[in-house]
Amino acid sequence: MATEEESAVKEPLDLIRLSLDERIYVKLRSDRELRGKLHAYDQHLNMILGDVEETTKRTVPFLFVRGDGVILVSPPLRTA
Amino acid sequence: MSGTEKGGSGTTKTPADFLKSIRGRPVVVKLNSGVDYRGILACLDGYMNIAMEQTEEYVNGQLKNKYGDAFIRGNNVLYISTSKRTLAEGA
Amino acid sequence: MANNPSQLLPSELIDRCIGSKIWVIMKGDKELVGTLRGFDVYVNMVLEDVTEYEITSEGRRITKLDQILLNGNNIAIIN
Repeated sequence: MATEEESAVKEPLDLIRLSLDERIYVKLRSDRELRGKLHAYDQHLNMILGDVEETTKRTVPFLFVRGDGVILVSPPLRTA
Repeated sequence: MSGTEKGGSGTTKTPADFLKSIRGRPVVVKLNSGVDYRGILACLDGYMNIAMEQTEEYVNGQLKNKYGDAFIRGNNVLYISTSKRTLAEGA
Repeated sequence: MANNPSQLLPSELIDRCIGSKIWVIMKGDKELVGTLRGFDVYVNMVLEDVTEYEITSEGRRITKLDQILLNGNNIAIIN
C-alpha cells in the first residue's frame, strides 16, 4: 500500500503530509522559529506540534500553531 | 475581451502557463518580507504554496540558512522568478 | 453585468497592456517595471525583463529578473 502514490510530492501540502510524526522546523512571522514533532495539520497549515522548542529556549509539550502566521516549514533531511 | 494579442514580441503567457513551465527548475522566490529563497521548484498549488528542494535562504543578499526541503506558505510570496540572472548584487 | 460599451472594465484595461512595459507599485516601498505577458483573475501577473526597485535601510536596491510571476495580493497601482 505504501507505494509511490503515497510518497510522491504532487502538491506542496504533500511535503507536510510526508512530515507527519517527524520533527520539523517552522518559521513564523515576527522572527519566531519552532522545532517540534508534527502531530496534525490542515489545509490552512494550522498544526499541532509536540515536544516543541522555541528559539527563545522555551520548551512546550504541546502547541497549536495557527496557519496564518506560518512562513516556511522544513522537514528533517531525508536520505535518498 | 478575448483579443489578447497585442503588438510587440512574443505571445501571452498566463500565470498558469508560467507555473507549468518552471516546475523542476531553479527559481528565486521572494517574500513580502524581502527574504529570498533560491532552490529547485518541486511543485506549487493555487494558493502559491510552494515546495522547494535544495533551498537557500537569503536575507539582504546574504546566505542565512539551508533547507533540504521547504514548504513556503503562499500568502507570504511576493513573486516567483526564473533564476537566470540576478544582477546588481556586487554593485 | 450589463455591458456598457463606453465603460472599460479594469481587466480589459490590463488586457490592453499585454506586450507593453508596465510599472507596478507594490504596497510597501517596492516597485517593478517589466513587460506584461499575461495575468489571471487575481491579477497575478507574468512579467518579463523585470527591474525591481526596493527601498532598504542601505538605500535603493535594483534587481534584474528574467521572468516572474508576481502575486496580485500586494499590488497597489499599475501604470
